Amino acid sequence: MNKLLSSTFFRELLRVVVAVLIALGIGFIITLLVSDQPIEAYKAFLFGPLTKINRFGDWIEESITLTFLGLSVAIVFKANQFSLGQEGQMVLGALVSGSIALFVPLPAYLRIPLAIMAAMVVGFLWGWLPGYLKAHLNANEIVSTLMLNAIALLFYEWLLTYYIKPPTAGYTSSATFPAEGTLPTFFPALPFLADLRTLFMNQTNISIALYLVVIAVMVVYFLMFRTPFGYELRMVGANSKFARYGGIDVKKTIVLAFAVSGIFAGLAGSHLAMGIHHKLILNITYALGFEGIVVSLLASNNPLAVPFAALAYGYLRAGANIMERSSDMSREMVLVIQGIIILLVTAEKLMPMVQKRISSRKPGVRTGGDKTDDESVSGTTLAEGGD
Amino acid sequence: MTAIVDMRNIVKVYPNGVVANDGVNFTVEQGEIHALVGENGAGKSTLMKVLYGLEHRTSGEILVKEKPVNFRLPDDAIRTGVGMVHQNFMLVPSFTVAQNIVLGHEPTHRSLLDSHEAARVTQELAEKYGLRIDANAVTDSVNVGMRQRVEILKTLYRGAEILILDEPTAVLTPQETKELFLAVRALVKQGKTVIFITHKLREVKEISDRVTVMRNGRVMGTLPTSKATREGLARMMVGRDVLLTVDKPPTKRGQPVLRIDDLSYISETGRLALKGVKFNVYAGEILGVAGVEGNGQTELVEVLTGLRPATTGTAEIESKNVLRKEPRHVRLAGVAHIPEDRLTNGLALTASIDENLIVDRYFRPPFHKRMAIDYKEVLKQGEDLIEEYDIRTPNGKLPVSSLSGGNMQKVIVAREFSSRPALLIAAQPTRGIDVGATEFVRQQLVRLRTDGTAVLLVSADLAEVMSLSDRIIVMYEGQITGVFPDAASLPEEELGLYMLGLKRQDPAEMEAFL
Repeated sequence: MNKLLSSTFFRELLRVVVAVLIALGIGFIITLLVSDQPIEAYKAFLFGPLTKINRFGDWIEESITLTFLGLSVAIVFKANQFSLGQEGQMVLGALVSGSIALFVPLPAYLRIPLAIMAAMVVGFLWGWLPGYLKAHLNANEIVSTLMLNAIALLFYEWLLTYYIKPPTAGYTSSATFPAEGTLPTFFPALPFLADLRTLFMNQTNISIALYLVVIAVMVVYFLMFRTPFGYELRMVGANSKFARYGGIDVKKTIVLAFAVSGIFAGLAGSHLAMGIHHKLILNITYALGFEGIVVSLLASNNPLAVPFAALAYGYLRAGANIMERSSDMSREMVLVIQGIIILLVTAEKLMPMVQKRISSRKPGVRTGGDKTDDESVSGTTLAEGGD
Repeated sequence: MTAIVDMRNIVKVYPNGVVANDGVNFTVEQGEIHALVGENGAGKSTLMKVLYGLEHRTSGEILVKEKPVNFRLPDDAIRTGVGMVHQNFMLVPSFTVAQNIVLGHEPTHRSLLDSHEAARVTQELAEKYGLRIDANAVTDSVNVGMRQRVEILKTLYRGAEILILDEPTAVLTPQETKELFLAVRALVKQGKTVIFITHKLREVKEISDRVTVMRNGRVMGTLPTSKATREGLARMMVGRDVLLTVDKPPTKRGQPVLRIDDLSYISETGRLALKGVKFNVYAGEILGVAGVEGNGQTELVEVLTGLRPATTGTAEIESKNVLRKEPRHVRLAGVAHIPEDRLTNGLALTASIDENLIVDRYFRPPFHKRMAIDYKEVLKQGEDLIEEYDIRTPNGKLPVSSLSGGNMQKVIVAREFSSRPALLIAAQPTRGIDVGATEFVRQQLVRLRTDGTAVLLVSADLAEVMSLSDRIIVMYEGQITGVFPDAASLPEEELGLYMLGLKRQDPAEMEAFL
């Protein structure tokens, strides 16, 4: 059993690594064609995020957002529902948590949990809505979630522009949150590491969201694979007719899948507002909502793999930013490379092809009709009925 | 007689290490009907896929018409005259019958499709081989039997001389099967050769000239059908003696468990599928529902199990209403259900065997503890049921899709029987599964009934209904048209007259026996 687990895990990992390597190779060729100093540019892309502490911080912060979003997508996709509503849930999460951070006069130890909870609740509700429309009115979830995204984004902009923005501000942004409304640094206040703590605090915005995200990963894993709800979710995703035949309330499960998924997108929003930007700004989501889909696909919708996929994908994005800033490569070219990676990783056909190549080269298993004695093939029997 | 197909020492090893064919020698003579039998997973389909170019042999030689061949694709096979009719039809539903038949080799008129010519050619072909079709009908609207004839004609249209029929009768009613057999005989008269894959021994005896038996990827023997007995073939297939008739101990009929009255159902398409159905099922009996498929049996089962809402009427399990309730409610009232389509309703193929076994009970003790599902219990139940119901698998964590058809059915049987139901509704419980698994499922059905469960058995296999049931009702066009309180003494022909709607009993006369 352990062997089986590790081997499928290994295969998955191999699949991703092979895809990334091929994509990086193609990316390098593109860089060669486009850039005047391709080596420099590609070095910035490959190693940039590790060269400075603030760059490292950017990478980790974005990976946290991506992990929340990846978890959100993994939940609905596991139920075989294609909700694309993370963007809207996230922006509303940012809006309510940011508003509480700004305007609710409570001490930090109350204000921060309240803001986070509120983001979760609003994510839940904004997910519940398309779920209900899908389950009870058979409204296509792709259309409804995209429409709800637009509503949420414009509502956010409207509130921000006309109510939240201080009248004196020169550009569309809220005031900076007070300390009671920002997530504290992840770094523990240990006396002998005080210098390092200061460095991290000054150069990065890595906050306690780091711990939240670890908890979230474990919660989603537990929810998906250990609870009755997770079982219902997976059975509805595997075969909804079977789920119904077996007595599962399919409609309820679908609605809950959308709603629970929204919780984590809402969390991503509160992380953006209170952890990274410390204020509400225009385009706060930076279209990250759809990147959760990439992360979840990379992780094969497995919550335990989501943070690793997020780190890998976040690294790519961070490297891309740095390459753009420090070389003559345009962001568009970098997006091309990203696109190639996604294409390769999600091309389910790739791995079986590689496997076939490997197994056809293995000695002992012959191809064609070169030998005719059947004694030389033995040892293996039929999978079923063999014993 | 000359060998038209000669497969020598065929070895097929799949990339995952499964040896599906292990040195198979298989010869088919010109102009014969050759039955290829074996349990699910014995390697007969693989062998035929190798012959048809769908799979590539690991080693061995194939001679067709005495010339060595090496088919890379089915197209190569078709060019050499080998055609295959698959179990699952590969037709475009929105095309007409004629369009499907000529697809890929269409007759053209000034480089446009010539529909009239297509219809004419198709009709001519159909008449030549005695395969009755309606060339202009839309494929979606014709019945399964005709779709199969379309598949056969498609193969013939492309010039097949050797036809491989992969379990052609699995989807057919008895009448359609008879018609198919007539057509197959006509084909052979016209010089074609037929390889007939099946695991129904009755059909082997009825149709074939010679029979080859496979087990565990090897050929156990080839013999003239005239020298084969059903018992002997079954023994060769399974490797031990098989009981072809079910030993049925006498039973004591108890109280009524299910009472149905005035049950009607109008389908989504507005068809009156059930009309005033009324009957009881008693504890300790198997009530068989006989009838040609499509006469309301499917609707009856799905209405009773909560999958469709009844239009009018009542149905009570131990005086609890089960109509127009969700499946969960019906199950909690004590109903277990073996669905007629196990791949659609009965299983989640990508989920593990263990998880398929808990779909009706994961929310109850001992599986549900505090907030979570206790996977130790799930594993334990999985081990117990795999052992008790003889599900052939290395362990319960594997996906159901890794099992053969017979073992998939055992997963369903294990789950439904172990729920200790008051009423078991079994729809086509042995359809498409092999001899060994069929024997097992039938024995379990009888055991459950002898232990006091009420069993409602719906089957298109008339022999199955007659040998298992204590009492039989006949459904015709959504109504009960006959009831036979003593199944054992009933002649098959008599039942046939009711099934075809040629005879029906007076409702008042039936009343006493329902």
